[in-house]
Amino acid sequence: MAMEITGDELGKWESQLRKGGLGLAVLATLWSGRLYGLEILRRLEADAGMSVQEGTIYPLLSRLKADGLVDAEWVQAEAGHPRKYYVLTPSGRRRLKDMAASWTSFAGGLDRLLTPLKGDPA
Amino acid sequence: MSPDAGLAHLDVYLDQVRRNLRGLSEADTAETIAELRSHVLDKVEGDPSPAKVEAAIDALGSPREVARLNLAERTVARMDADRSLLAVPRAIGRLATLSLYGFFAFMVSLIGYAFGAALMLTAVAKPFAPRHVGLWKMPGAPDDFTYTLGVISDAPPAHELLGWWIIPIGLFVGALTLWLTWRFGVFSVRLMAGRRGR
Repeated sequence: MAMEITGDELGKWESQLRKGGLGLAVLATLWSGRLYGLEILRRLEADAGMSVQEGTIYPLLSRLKADGLVDAEWVQAEAGHPRKYYVLTPSGRRRLKDMAASWTSFAGGLDRLLTPLKGDPA
Repeated sequence: MSPDAGLAHLDVYLDQVRRNLRGLSEADTAETIAELRSHVLDKVEGDPSPAKVEAAIDALGSPREVARLNLAERTVARMDADRSLLAVPRAIGRLATLSLYGFFAFMVSLIGYAFGAALMLTAVAKPFAPRHVGLWKMPGAPDDFTYTLGVISDAPPAHELLGWWIIPIGLFVGALTLWLTWRFGVFSVRLMAGRRGR
């Protein structure tokens, strides 16, 4: 029996997909240099169209720091209050490269599989 | 309304988060609060009016939810560094009041550890008081029985089921129960931190 995927199920699947890719996305925002929390969120939204619930970003950064992939330091900002900047550690850079290679290979394979669907009305 | 009112509102919010972070070390709490404060001040872009502060706080989430996410994440990081039989229940205890699942995991852990420890203690006590330690099948209502396990000062005049077998069985089933409860604790803490399967 054919099963229709409901909007709700599609939403859940999308949310799982984003959750899985979020660690990679956050590490990728730090590739070119150090950023603070709100900058990371804005970069995710502007460059990847990823809207992240703001309260979840700091626990994630704390996890990446505990895993030794990023480092953090407080800097007195021009804005008048201190900001916590995050930067990739050497092991974070290596991990990001490995994750990016896995992602590219996975997404490329899936894309080839999905080619026949493109331009084919359902 | 002055910027001071906005900053006072931020202080109230951060104080509520801090209260929900109890169980975390002082250094971790101070770090979490400082980072949230910095985030809100960045978000309002130099204009800490009550309306802007309120909007920034709304985007972060309720004090309880923000505290739960941070507490769970730091607790799981600490638990990953120390997965001893004591560290895991301590982590579960810290998360017990922050969600319904946290409370459920706490109760299951409490019962699991108590049952496992009772079985092992019963097994250990058997050689010291053979006639007072055992598993008794006691007659109750017609066609009904109750089972009593443990150390009883006046051993009941009922059928004791295991005899000396209570030592290996108690030790094995007790240790298995403790291990399963510990595994459940590790799974639950990771689940609450959104790290299942990592």
